[in-house]
Amino acid sequence: MRKLATDQIHGLEIPISGLSLFLPSATIAEIVNVGTLTPVPFAPPWLIGAIGWRTVAVPIVSFEALLGGAVTAPRPQSKLVVLYPLRGRADWEFVGLLTASEPRPYMVQAATTVTPSTDDLPITPYLATGIKFGDRLFGIPDLDRLRQAFYP
Amino acid sequence: MSDTNQYLRLEVAGHSYLLPSVQRYTIEQRDNLTENLDHASGVAAWRVVRNDRWPAYALDGALRLTRAPAQWQRAVFLEGSPHMVGLIVDDVQLLPRGAVTVTPFTPLGPSPTGEGHLFVNAWVNAGRVTLVFSPPALLGYLRSLGG
Repeated sequence: MRKLATDQIHGLEIPISGLSLFLPSATIAEIVNVGTLTPVPFAPPWLIGAIGWRTVAVPIVSFEALLGGAVTAPRPQSKLVVLYPLRGRADWEFVGLLTASEPRPYMVQAATTVTPSTDDLPITPYLATGIKFGDRLFGIPDLDRLRQAFYP
Repeated sequence: MSDTNQYLRLEVAGHSYLLPSVQRYTIEQRDNLTENLDHASGVAAWRVVRNDRWPAYALDGALRLTRAPAQWQRAVFLEGSPHMVGLIVDDVQLLPRGAVTVTPFTPLGPSPTGEGHLFVNAWVNAGRVTLVFSPPALLGYLRSLGG
């Protein structure tokens, strides 16, 4: 019987300004072009608009702004990563993240990753931890903290 | 997730929004309103009926209070208790019944009004999003502007 590789995680590198995020593939519904962002009045600075995706409107988040940085405008190479609804939310409550460049699939093997020192990552409640894979540093978003920020 | 109600399309400072037809409203032309010359109050104009008068406000592209554009022509007055309140609009159009299918939408972050988020639905058409007002939240927000 073939042994299951339980120490491997298929995920996506999500490049943002100054950092790369890593999310498991199971959290991601689709990667799409940016298209037209509709402004949402009275939104917090990190909510940069909404897009029409399939039949629903999806709010789009600038993770850089959520980390306290400047609101990033889409670049020509930017994409939107549409995430499945967070835990406990309705099945239509997808959320999108704006990327700085094309996301890349990654397979991370636990045996070859290293937990970085706290000095390597921004101090923010929205990153659960980080991993180092080779010479690459990835921040792991804290989905529960994001849920609290998105739906107070 | 279809909705058979009709929707009023409002254009405010170049942005389109929908208002469900369950919200009773009246469209008034500028000539039928009394312009407010006291710009400090934030009220653009008054609708005067007998001994009552109700305010109409102008909002900018971010839906913040602003001075009415010089060439404004009409206001939509939303009916509700304790009184109606108006919104200066660039354009208004009653969309045919069935022309719009809305889906739920949750703006992220804290709600800006005491009655919740200003938008609770959205119309996605050819990839474009038109936000749908929550009538109680819009009424509450306009009333909070004073006047």
